[in-house]
Amino acid sequence: MLPTDHLAVVERVVEHPLPYFSLLLAVPRGWADLAAGQFVMVRTGSGLEPFLRRAFSVHDATSSATGDRIELLIKAVGRGTRALAALSPGARLPVLGPLGRGFSLAAEGPVALVAGGVGAAPLYLLARRLAERGQRFDFFYGGRNRVDLPRLESFAALARRSGGRLVATTEDGSAGASGLVAEPLERALASGEFRFVYACGPMGLLARLASLVAAHGLGGEAALETPMGCGFGACLGCAVPRPDGRFALCCQDGPVFAFSEVAW
Amino acid sequence: MSAPVDLSVALGPLALANPILTASGTFGYGLEFAHLTDLGRLGGIVTKGLSVAPIRGNPPPRVCETRGGMLNSIGLQNIGIERFLAEVLPGLERFPPRVIVNLFGVSVEEYVRLAARVEPVAGVAAVELNVSCPNVQRGGLEFGQDPEILARLVRAVRAVTGKPLIVKLSPNVTRPVEIGEAAKAGGADILSAINTLLGMAIDPVSRRPRLATVRGGLSGPAIKPVALRVVFDVARQVGLPVIGIGGIETVDDVLEFLLAGASAVQIGSALFRDPTTAERLVTALADRLAADGVGTVRELIGAVRLPS
Repeated sequence: MLPTDHLAVVERVVEHPLPYFSLLLAVPRGWADLAAGQFVMVRTGSGLEPFLRRAFSVHDATSSATGDRIELLIKAVGRGTRALAALSPGARLPVLGPLGRGFSLAAEGPVALVAGGVGAAPLYLLARRLAERGQRFDFFYGGRNRVDLPRLESFAALARRSGGRLVATTEDGSAGASGLVAEPLERALASGEFRFVYACGPMGLLARLASLVAAHGLGGEAALETPMGCGFGACLGCAVPRPDGRFALCCQDGPVFAFSEVAW
Repeated sequence: MSAPVDLSVALGPLALANPILTASGTFGYGLEFAHLTDLGRLGGIVTKGLSVAPIRGNPPPRVCETRGGMLNSIGLQNIGIERFLAEVLPGLERFPPRVIVNLFGVSVEEYVRLAARVEPVAGVAAVELNVSCPNVQRGGLEFGQDPEILARLVRAVRAVTGKPLIVKLSPNVTRPVEIGEAAKAGGADILSAINTLLGMAIDPVSRRPRLATVRGGLSGPAIKPVALRVVFDVARQVGLPVIGIGGIETVDDVLEFLLAGASAVQIGSALFRDPTTAERLVTALADRLAADGVGTVRELIGAVRLPS
């Protein structure tokens, strides 16, 4: 599907524990078929600040008799995201998408999904699609504290539906096990439970996963986040170093990359 | 009913259906925008800078946002002239915009080779030289920083091309007019101004520069007054047609540049905010001229009313 720039209508702003919230947007017919891991570029205001659009992965995409909808799971951290949090239903928002390359869904057998904080955003649509096709997954969800695990119960429900489980970790121990999410994952990978890992989160976490995946001879994909100018390959601003010394573009070649495609 | 507004302009040998172009580096090679905006409605497009061989570009981070603009340090990444001509240009013919190729090299020989390569290519309407890149034979000094070196470069390129020849001026010099005069002496037909302003940004939390290369090029509305001043000076003093570039986003911005002396404009970073900006401005300019009873855009060029 070719991307279009569309004035999406805000249908609902769903509050999760601060600073997280979800934006439900009415979008053109057909968008519900986008691939998990694809993203949109959102213009957060009409003035000069913020100057650039903001990239958000699509958290969920659905279709009904009344039209197609996407949900964005957002952490309000700066001017752009705070402006979005303040929107009311009915507001119109320039949304360019769907953009980029999503997750492949090619893996067979039980898989591991790994999220660090707001990195959970693109994994919800992936998890739902996996559950719908009856593919078992465990969801490893890590954050600094309980608040940093938005939609924890929804992820747990999807994991159960797939036949798998949710493993939560927090650095302060306020939810799940105390520690980093890579630790229980490492034990699970060592036991040979999974052949494939899907991940999104901070670069430090993804780099650690990349070496784990390589060490166990597994396949895996990660959704990356980089500074981005345009979102569709024109500005060449979102370079991702490749193992061959050249650069991929996060917006076009990604944001989902095989772990082996990135020089971590 | 009033007569339709005439948006056509002629910049020396380069005739355009309207004065709205896209700026190099902000429009990819053109095809990236083909499904987002009507390329055929634009006065023309200027490609990403092209070199003899592909260039992989700078390490990330390459872009960052600033107040009223952005910094970039892409490092001239491009697919090289041969891939552009073989894979991109034929795809553009479907639309078809006027295509201006932006060329750069690290030596006079490379510029000459590039200009000679596109000379017989019918799909190339004009050549724009990016002279804000380091000259390896001169210890990395930019071609566009020294009038004598620039005149020699333009003369060498002029000798191999009959296409309209545009030289893109850098604002990072004390006297842009002097550089513009050197380009004219070398045989340039048109000047475009301005390239990005050298700038920098620091993240106060991490204490690190926001760009991997520390310095980068500033673009966006933040630079518009600087660009307008350079266009005004160059247009009045050099005597070549000028293409204005720098922070243009609204029809008022376009009018300002025309009044300052630009015969056409290039739209840059605004295309990242709204990919239809250039196409929108073509319509908005026609509407504005019609509303103001101005029959042709040419009436406005250099028509600023200066204090006596």
